[in-house]
Amino acid sequence: MKSNLVVTLIVAVLLGLVLNEVGFFDSGRLIRGLRNLGILTSDMIPPDFTVLPVASRALWETILMSFAGTMLGFLASLPISIIATRNLFSPPFSRFARFVAAAIRTIPVLLWAIIFVILFGLGPLAGTFGIAAYTVGYLAKIYADLFEGTDPEILEAVGSTGASKLHLVRFVFLPEGANAILTQLLFMLEYNIRASSILGFVGAGGLGFVMQVYLQTLEYRRLASVLLLILVVVLAMDSLSALIRKRFLLTAQ
Amino acid sequence: MNGTDGHELALRADGLWFAYREADWVLNDVCLSVPRGKITIIMGPSGTGKTTLLKILAGILTPARGQVEIFDHRITNEPQRAISSLIGYVPQQLGLVRNLTALENVLMGALGRCGNGKVLFGLFPGHEVEKAKAALELMGIGHKADEKVFHLSGGERQRVAIARTLLQHPRVVIADEFVSDLDMSLAIEILGRIRRAAEQEQLTFVMSMHRQGLVREFAENVLTMREGKVVPGFRPVILQEPASAEMKR
Repeated sequence: MKSNLVVTLIVAVLLGLVLNEVGFFDSGRLIRGLRNLGILTSDMIPPDFTVLPVASRALWETILMSFAGTMLGFLASLPISIIATRNLFSPPFSRFARFVAAAIRTIPVLLWAIIFVILFGLGPLAGTFGIAAYTVGYLAKIYADLFEGTDPEILEAVGSTGASKLHLVRFVFLPEGANAILTQLLFMLEYNIRASSILGFVGAGGLGFVMQVYLQTLEYRRLASVLLLILVVVLAMDSLSALIRKRFLLTAQ
Repeated sequence: MNGTDGHELALRADGLWFAYREADWVLNDVCLSVPRGKITIIMGPSGTGKTTLLKILAGILTPARGQVEIFDHRITNEPQRAISSLIGYVPQQLGLVRNLTALENVLMGALGRCGNGKVLFGLFPGHEVEKAKAALELMGIGHKADEKVFHLSGGERQRVAIARTLLQHPRVVIADEFVSDLDMSLAIEILGRIRRAAEQEQLTFVMSMHRQGLVREFAENVLTMREGKVVPGFRPVILQEPASAEMKR
């Protein structure tokens, strides 16, 4: 109990110091910020819906990029995560696979997009690859940890039938992990739709380009309708993933 | 391979030592022999190393010292694919994949005979599928073949696990306390089916079990474990409680 208190105190003091460092306690700035928030909000109302046709086309491109990128990343993450599973592969292999996943994860998605714009030029192809790369790094790690948590008794029982490593992957790791695999994949798709709306900022296609134009030309009412559009898509994605989970996941009857 | 009294032996273990942590011996110098085509039951209080012993007999754990022979094949240190035609193993919690159907789980018993080809797409050879269905019928749950294991009851799951092991065609089946969670009448029915399978296919069963009523009814050979040792020989333990008394409960 006493050590808990000490830890809480240390964290609180650290938080205070950090907040002070970033200017959180500068009341003048905070008040100015609040006033600006009021101005910005009033500039955004009412949203200008005349841009919806243009924005919808860009949004559609964003959704396609996200879907293609997420699926490519998902497919690539499976072999990496399987090799990274320590109760299936010995340390040299599993460590290398984990290193690859960590290295890919180190680079943020916006930077990946820039790299692929350099490689493939402007447009949605660069965005798709950027999303795929980020997805591989994230899912490979999540799935490897998931596979390692597989019930050892099932592995012993199926292993004793003389099953090969590939058999174990196909008949134990994948079906036992199916629920979590699907849940993480749907989460990733939703995350990528949100995250990829920004990729247009660096010329990697989709809604970001439209948003950037409205920001730079101070057309905040148009920007507001774009943000509302993203909100609608994210909400729709949420219900869609709930529907898919309900259809495919095991639940007690 | 014959025992001292002339019985043909299915399995013999000599001088098994095992520790999970350095020098903390769970098994110390275990020797045992199991007659062919019979049901052998290992009894003993919990924590005496029954599960560890069974895993060593099944080739899942490797002993620090000693060796296990099944029909004159040394199985210690052999890869499991090489010994899967000799030994089948049913763990305490059965080790079924809940997200697959009963039939798919049974078909896993055939994996040791299958390559990495079509099977990976879920396409098992037709004769294996027929045999798997027959094994489910033998266990009395042919009608549940296409149900996911997740939706099956405890007793139905036990039968799927045994059917999987039967499809493997091992010569010795090792099962760890696997009817412990069932009520008495169900346990009796399942053990009855096992006895029939043992007779039909000349199978040898080695099981751990703690219910004396069941042991008395079904064991043809009883071994007792105490403090990491097996009480030597085929000497049945003296059963305190008459079988009928417990069965009536």
